[in-house]
Amino acid sequence: MAGSSLHERLYTPTDEHGMLRQTVRQFARDAVEPQAMEHDQSGTLNVALLRRCGDLGLLGLTVPEDGGGAGLDAVASVIVHEELAYCDPGFALAYLAHALLFVNNFYWASTDAQRARYLPKTLSGEQVGAMGMTEPAVGTDVLGMQSVARRDGDHYVLDGRKTFITNGPEADVFIAYAKLDDRITTFVIERGFAGFSTSPKIPKMGMRASTMSELIFDGCRVPRENLLGREGGGITNMMRNLEIERLGLSAMSLGMAQRCLDDMVRYTQERRSFGKPIHEHGQIQRYLAESYAKVEAMRALIYGVAATVTPQHRNRLGTDACKLFASTAAKEVADAAVQVLGGYGYCTEYRVEQFLRDAKLIEIGGGTLEAHQKNITRDLTRP
Amino acid sequence: MKILVPLKRVPDPELKTKIKDGAIDLSGASWVVNPFDEYAVETALRLLENGDAGTREGGEVVVVTIGPSEAAQQVRSALAMGADRAIRVDAEDKAIDALTVVAVLQAIVAEEKPDLILMGKQAVDGDANQVGQMLAGKLGLPQATFAASIELAEDKASVLVGREVDAGVEYKRIPLPGLVTVDLRIVSPTAVKNHVTPDAFAYGDGPRYASLKGIMAAKKKPLADKTLADYGVTASPVIAEKGVELPPARPPGQKVDDIPTLVQKLVEEAKAL
Repeated sequence: MAGSSLHERLYTPTDEHGMLRQTVRQFARDAVEPQAMEHDQSGTLNVALLRRCGDLGLLGLTVPEDGGGAGLDAVASVIVHEELAYCDPGFALAYLAHALLFVNNFYWASTDAQRARYLPKTLSGEQVGAMGMTEPAVGTDVLGMQSVARRDGDHYVLDGRKTFITNGPEADVFIAYAKLDDRITTFVIERGFAGFSTSPKIPKMGMRASTMSELIFDGCRVPRENLLGREGGGITNMMRNLEIERLGLSAMSLGMAQRCLDDMVRYTQERRSFGKPIHEHGQIQRYLAESYAKVEAMRALIYGVAATVTPQHRNRLGTDACKLFASTAAKEVADAAVQVLGGYGYCTEYRVEQFLRDAKLIEIGGGTLEAHQKNITRDLTRP
Repeated sequence: MKILVPLKRVPDPELKTKIKDGAIDLSGASWVVNPFDEYAVETALRLLENGDAGTREGGEVVVVTIGPSEAAQQVRSALAMGADRAIRVDAEDKAIDALTVVAVLQAIVAEEKPDLILMGKQAVDGDANQVGQMLAGKLGLPQATFAASIELAEDKASVLVGREVDAGVEYKRIPLPGLVTVDLRIVSPTAVKNHVTPDAFAYGDGPRYASLKGIMAAKKKPLADKTLADYGVTASPVIAEKGVELPPARPPGQKVDDIPTLVQKLVEEAKAL
């Protein structure tokens, strides 16, 4: 990776971050890279590999030490997502759905009893977690969700449907949002609850090393103790974690773009046309130079914003900007890589076509470009 | 049982070497623990623990490095793997040579009195392959180099070291205290035996990753910052680097028309026959 030691220091601020990056990079090279193409092609999640992330302690990265996690910050989360996505964006997405959307979300909203019940197995990876917010008819306008909950003795009863739920097919535990008395409320759902099921896998363009499905609530009976936070407190839970989630997705864009850039640089030094390496052609130089500039800009923005996000301190504007910029920049870099590698780029062997398909997701998932544009403008023009 | 593991930081060997003004350009380097030294840390941990149960009773692994303050990160990563404490002796890589390193390590051994000194067979930057042998010589300790396997005797008074040689594997038993340098295969799944981990147990290939738990624990482990003067050593290298250049580019291949020309060229130009 290019850059000076000082440069490295900006993106790896403490020794702990340095060791984390080294561990994850090594793990990604040794264990994640070799299985990536197979899982992209078969459209399956490597559950055993997610469990190995648990052995390393990566699943509880942002959970404080007293909760059994590592107690690390948003920068650490960015490092992990960047390094994993460099080798396998689909797997990185499954990691995000588990470690951030489920574990991190759950930890900050749960009671001690709930933590005792669900944390050990989700921190180890014995159980896979997922989170359900989007519905077939409701995406960005999340407040209009149609899933409903009602009280029934010592249970809640949920009806509705969630869709595009990453890890849905494999997950054992879920965080799900539904309206109770017209107020968004959060519940913890276990696979096996009466009235709960998941649909078959939903086929998709990219990120195929992670899976998605619908969550179906058909009179699903949820014990009262599985209320997460308070009744009507769903928005608080949701908003508390959005920043670190956007950073994780942005960091995935960064990892993908860095990978495509590295592959491009290597290829243009080896491939020759008209009697010289193709990086000596001006048209190719434009792809390389612009991609490098985009990667560096993404990195600076993402790490700069990540340093400002803590459980106590939010930075909505910054994280919206990260994802708005990084998602499209990564897609452009991946597209450049496909173009530069030509026929090889379009075929699966060099994997850049996969990164292009994968990179597109970040413009949609976890907030569309249009949602970020709306949020940023609203914050900027607020009187 | 106390094991001392000297380790060195090196520029990441997976990255491309850049030459600038007759020296290796390290301004953009990212630094890692010398892989062979990392294997030595792994070996030390395997010698002391029950790998199957994931427990260790007693024993101590002390890592030592000689390098600038940034090298603390590399010793921290050895602590994160499971070593118990660390010593960093402050020095710039350029200002010291193998003999200086040996002098420092000699003083540290005198102070720490380890039962075993375990180290990589060489550092992958300079590839000198000298420190282990010279240190054992200076200390008057028995040595076994290029270990591909190691077995700690049940009475912990000796180690049986397997070394891969041309004709097969040579086994050497050396009494402790002693010094062993390790080769790549020492981190294969069953290369280390200690009569604690069940013989049938197989480790994963390669050194362990520092887990998050290990990384967080490493913060609290002692790391002593020392100077060359603390050990009565002055840096007076007898070896100096005069210049660095990349090997010349390979000349392009030639096509010949027939076998006699080929033979003639092999004899006269390549001097291969």
